[in-house]
Amino acid sequence: MTRWWTGEELGEAAERLVPGSVSHTTETACVLKAEHALEALRALRDDPDTNFQHLSNLCGVDQWDRFEVVYHLQSLERNQMACAKVEAHDRENASVASVVDIWQGAWIQESETYDLFGIEFEGHPNLQRILLWDGYPGHPLRKDFLAMPGGLQPGLNEFAGTSAKPEPPVRPVT
Amino acid sequence: MSEIVQSEPFVMNIGPQHPSTHGVFRVKATVDGERVIDAEMVIGYLHRSMEKLAEERTYTQNIPFTDRTDYLSSMSNNLGYCLAVEKLAGIEVPPRGQAIRVIMAELQRLASHCMGAGAFANDTGAWQTPIMWFMREREKILDIFEMTSGARLTCNYMRIGGVAFELPEGFEEEVRALIGPLRQTIADGEGLLSGNEIFLARARNVAVIPPDMAVNASLSGPMLRGSGVAWDIRKADPYCGYEQYDFDIPIGYQGDAYDRFIVRLEEMRQSLRIVEQALDGLPGGPHSTEVPLALRPPAGEAYARIESPRGELGYYLVSDEGPSPHRFHIRPPSLINLSVLKEMTVGGSIADAIVALGSIDIVVGEIDR
Repeated sequence: MTRWWTGEELGEAAERLVPGSVSHTTETACVLKAEHALEALRALRDDPDTNFQHLSNLCGVDQWDRFEVVYHLQSLERNQMACAKVEAHDRENASVASVVDIWQGAWIQESETYDLFGIEFEGHPNLQRILLWDGYPGHPLRKDFLAMPGGLQPGLNEFAGTSAKPEPPVRPVT
Repeated sequence: MSEIVQSEPFVMNIGPQHPSTHGVFRVKATVDGERVIDAEMVIGYLHRSMEKLAEERTYTQNIPFTDRTDYLSSMSNNLGYCLAVEKLAGIEVPPRGQAIRVIMAELQRLASHCMGAGAFANDTGAWQTPIMWFMREREKILDIFEMTSGARLTCNYMRIGGVAFELPEGFEEEVRALIGPLRQTIADGEGLLSGNEIFLARARNVAVIPPDMAVNASLSGPMLRGSGVAWDIRKADPYCGYEQYDFDIPIGYQGDAYDRFIVRLEEMRQSLRIVEQALDGLPGGPHSTEVPLALRPPAGEAYARIESPRGELGYYLVSDEGPSPHRFHIRPPSLINLSVLKEMTVGGSIADAIVALGSIDIVVGEIDR
């Protein structure tokens, strides 16, 4: 069975390899400080105990007040898996360091995250929109993305269940 | 020679509508004569923004979306998603439900590899005969799916906590009747192609991926195993009781297109072994646990992955205790396997690029989602 590291275990390992790189840990994940993230992730890949040579998954999450970039790291030799995160607090100019130099497999997932979340990856060799076309208004997976292109309205003014206000009445089709 | 024949690079589009791209997908190849000097993939033609749509629907309502990502292996997609929700909400599946899931996932792997291996044979010039043999067998598997779930491709059969319905009457006989002829078809296909001089000339030493690059580029599934890395999530991180079944992990030695084809054929044999064992030991009892219709998992996150026919299919879910996921992310094996397209094609001829693309076995519905 794959051993899933808790956030605390990964935090200890990262702190041992690159002191001062951990911001905080949660039950499942270890949040790395943005300025040390690249160094810490590279050390986690190269250290024989951690040996996270395979980047299983990379994606973004919009947590309203911040963006999280989630890395699921995997070691094939030691059969273990861990979850690291890096946060970006500036919604307008969200930016984290690119890990393409560490894992080649990251480039396409970072491009996708850039396309759908608008998070810039510094150092990415070819950062451009891959699923949507250039000039598409906005980044659809952001939680505040509601309007559709061309001024079309999706029906509701906001997503259901996201505010305490009562649901708007259903508009008749004209 | 260079004084007599002069060539200059030009950009050639392969696709978006081209039989070798297996879907709506474009390769922007820069070629110098017959040599490919740069290859850029253009995707997004089939983008439906499923990850956004899923954030508005309940956990159960999202299961049909997963059918439509990798439309050649809907059972595997259902399974991966249900496992992620079960991990998030802490739901146990009864043994019978798990065994049914294993049978369905392995039948789906057989159906998908029938298509993958047959289409690859087509790409290498073994025109139509092998694919027709494999499609004949795949048709029987799809009939079994239709008998079980009512649909052939978009089955929507798995549910959170188990499967949707009990197996129909006569299911076991149908599956057992399938195993012998399918084994024969695999042997026929291998006999026709594996020693065939034309096939070897087209597939051997084409699109070679060394093992260290395969790991660094996050490849998975037959792409990773074809390069000689014995990594199978069914063995490494067993789900649905895969640890009870006896099967082997086939690997390749050279990491070329031929090895990936042979790995797929061998995987089909191993899948048949698993199906036989699962049918023999099919436990009784309920096929599913009771799960509330409007499931609200506790706040948190879960990442579950399975070995889908194309590789590591992962689902990453974030819950905010609401009735629908806060974030729904699919880790698509096809997309990540495709990301080494440039490394596989540059330096080869255009004909080799077609073989390289065929050996990845992409499904564009999963790439674009």
